[in-house]
Formats: sequence, structure tokens, C-alpha cells
Amino acid sequence: MSSDVDQREVEFISLMLQKSVGEMHAEVCDQCGKCSSACPVSKEIEGFNPRQLIARVALGKMDELLADEAIWTCTTCLKCRERCPEEISPYDVILVLRNLAYRAGLNYPGGYDDFINGILERGFISEPQEVRARGGGKLSRGALGLPGVKGPKDMGVFRGIVEKIIEAGKGN
Amino acid sequence: MKYALYLGCTVQSDQYGFEASVRETLPKLGVELVDMDDVSCCGFPALSSVSVTGWHYLSARNLAIAEKMGLDVLPLCNGCHLSFIETIHALEADPGLKEIVNRNLEKEGLHYEGTAKVVHLIEVLHDVVGVEGISEKVKTRLEGVKLAAHPGCHAIRPSDLQKVDDAENPQKLDTLIKALGAETFDYPEKIDCCGSQLAVSSGRSTLKIAGEKLQAVQSYGFDGLVTTCPFCFKMYDGRQRAIKGAIGDRSLEVPVFYYTQILGLALGSSPEKLGLQMNQSPVDGVVNKILGDDE
Repeated sequence: MSSDVDQREVEFISLMLQKSVGEMHAEVCDQCGKCSSACPVSKEIEGFNPRQLIARVALGKMDELLADEAIWTCTTCLKCRERCPEEISPYDVILVLRNLAYRAGLNYPGGYDDFINGILERGFISEPQEVRARGGGKLSRGALGLPGVKGPKDMGVFRGIVEKIIEAGKGN
Repeated sequence: MKYALYLGCTVQSDQYGFEASVRETLPKLGVELVDMDDVSCCGFPALSSVSVTGWHYLSARNLAIAEKMGLDVLPLCNGCHLSFIETIHALEADPGLKEIVNRNLEKEGLHYEGTAKVVHLIEVLHDVVGVEGISEKVKTRLEGVKLAAHPGCHAIRPSDLQKVDDAENPQKLDTLIKALGAETFDYPEKIDCCGSQLAVSSGRSTLKIAGEKLQAVQSYGFDGLVTTCPFCFKMYDGRQRAIKGAIGDRSLEVPVFYYTQILGLALGSSPEKLGLQMNQSPVDGVVNKILGDDE
């Protein structure tokens, strides 16, 4: 494992903790609720509420937060970031919590492993499919005259680099 | 007007109607598109949630390829677009991260400096080609068709990083719709999220979030919904049947189009060249109305 990436991970984690916990005192967030009122997920999923999430971060309940599956339900719509009057951005805090939860080896949706494997295998999370036409039949890129998909030239080198960076973050 | 065309995973894997209609229409407006070799996923949302460094590596890698080509890059996906924008800001703010990225890029024969600009399709059409540039090429005006604009979250937010359009009152996609002779008007849910990013953790909630917006669009009397985001399109078009089931609304029927598909119809391209045979929502009525094939 390359040491620069390892070092980077140590710096990243401390920076993230500093940003998400160290600088987040209760008085920074007024608990105005603009984030929650804008949040599309709060309306649908009980237990997901960006305003409460920020309060829990400010109270230092990190263990509980990192293990909370709710942090994986944000749609990344960015309305909370756009509308926060204190520039706290629950979206960015959630991204940090997800990264920390992944590093801590806690639960995360299995779909992320599929994404990662796809990137390591071919450079992309998905590969070209045959697509259903409305009137029946299936169409490929070739049949539509679209050029073939080309991934990284040297998949071995690409995979090695990306794998190292991700593994460095996984913690061991 | 020449750009490096970055498709992104979703577009190149199954959103062929978007890619086909972009390749068909942009050259007609004088925009030259150059395919990119050696590219990969942008890292969003696959890596941004689990490895921020890995995410920025992937985005910077694609930007480095555009730099090598000496071109600004046009990503076809809202997610890839924002991903590139975030990486440009992150590497500018953190020279240490930029150094690590470059040390690894070197092994792939690449280097990131930050000279390639990232442009959004809405910017190319609205700000570069311009409404007049489009209007003068229109052969078939989309008279009497009312279309709702859905720019998508990652095209308009966050306003501190990008200015494709106003974050709270975007109007460019509306203007582009009107440039084709179609009608549009503001509606309360216009800047609401499609919910597609929730699919990885909660499929049912995703469908409900998307369904509420589609129901609203239908209730206002729109003939269809227009977007430039492949994730939003997949949700509203590809999953519309599942949405109907999830929210128990059998009357829900909203034709969904990529902007470049209706642009192509207006420019005189055939529906097949625009990939309209692959839209899963009921688009035939609107297409026939535009082409004058009804009754």
C-alpha cells in the first residue's frame, strides 16, 4: 500500500472529524429546519431528518450516527446545502459520515460493492446493455450506430491505483 | 464550438436515446463533439460515499484526458457534471490532494492541471449556441405542446460551486423549450429531486418520490416532461410503470423526453435517429402531434 495514500487517509479522517464534529458546536446550527423542510427523503423515510442529524453530530453521538442506516438514504439533491443559512450543509456532513462508516467497517448498502467492483473490473459501474424498444425487440449500441465503449487503456495499472486508494480508506 | 464528449456509465450503458439524440442534434447546431478514449467512471456516487480520494482521482483522471485533448469537456450526465465541478474545486483548495492525484496519474501517463473547463449541455445550448441559434434552425415548430422543464438537482445546485442556472428559479431549460415553439410554465415541484439516488438503499421510497412529481406534472395539464439528466430520465421514463404500481395510480401517464429528442424533432430529425423508440413512457401521442401524423 502506498504510504502517501495512507497518510492522506489519516489526514482525511482527522480533517473530516474536525469539520463534522470539532467545528460543529450547538450554537453554529440554529436548528431552523430549512434543511428538513426541503429534504425529499424526510417526507418518505421515518428516521431521516437532516436537522436532527446535525443536532446529533453536535452532541457528539458519532458511534450511533455511523451505524445508522439512515445516513445512506440521502438522495444528494443538495437542497439542504443550498438553503442552510449557516453554510453547514447536511449533505456534506452525510458524505463524511458515510466515508467514516465505510472506513469503520460498518453496514452500508451492498450496491456500493457492485459499483466498486464494476469500476475495478472495467472502469465503469455498468456495461453496455441491450435496451428494450417500446414496440418490442432489443437494441444494442452497435445496432444504433453508436461507437463501442472504451475503458482505461491499461486496466491493470488503473485497477492497481484505484484499488490501493480505496483499500487505504477501508482501514485495517 | 468543439467539446470532448464524456458519456458516463449510465448514458453509455443504457441511455442510448440521449446519446443518439445528442450526436444527431448538436452537430446540426454547429457544435463539434470529439469522443474521449481511455476514460472511466467519474466516481459519483459510487466512490464519493466510500472513498473521497478515489472519487476525486477518477474525476481528475477524466479531466486530465480532456486536458490532453486540449478541449473543454461536455459530460452528458448531471451527476458526472457536478462530480467534475466538485473535483476541480477540491483539488484547487487542497494542493496535497492534487499532488497525490498527479503522482498516481503519472503511472497512467496523465497529468491534471485544471485547465479543461466543464460545460453543461444546458449551458452549451442556452449560453453558447443561444436561443436564436436554435430558433433559426427549427423546421417543425412544436406548436400546441405543453412541456414541463425538469433540469435536475445536479445541474442547478449547489450555487456556490456552479452557475449553470439559478438554483432556486432555473429558467434556461424553459427558454430552450420555448425556442422550439412549445409552451412551458413554472410549477411548484420544478426543482424537486427525482429520488433516483435513493434506489441503492430504498427502492420503494424512490418510486414514491418520483411518483409525486409525475402526478403533479400531469395535474397541471402538461403533455410531457423534459430533462437533460439520465438518472432523472431513467426514473421518470424507464420506471414509470413501476411508479404507477407503487403509488397505486393507474391513470398516471406522463410522456418523458430528453431535451435533445424534442430538439431533434424540431430540427427535422426522424424519431429513430433520436432514439425515441427506446423511451418507455407513452410518447407516441406527443411525437405524432409534433410530426402532424395525428388524426
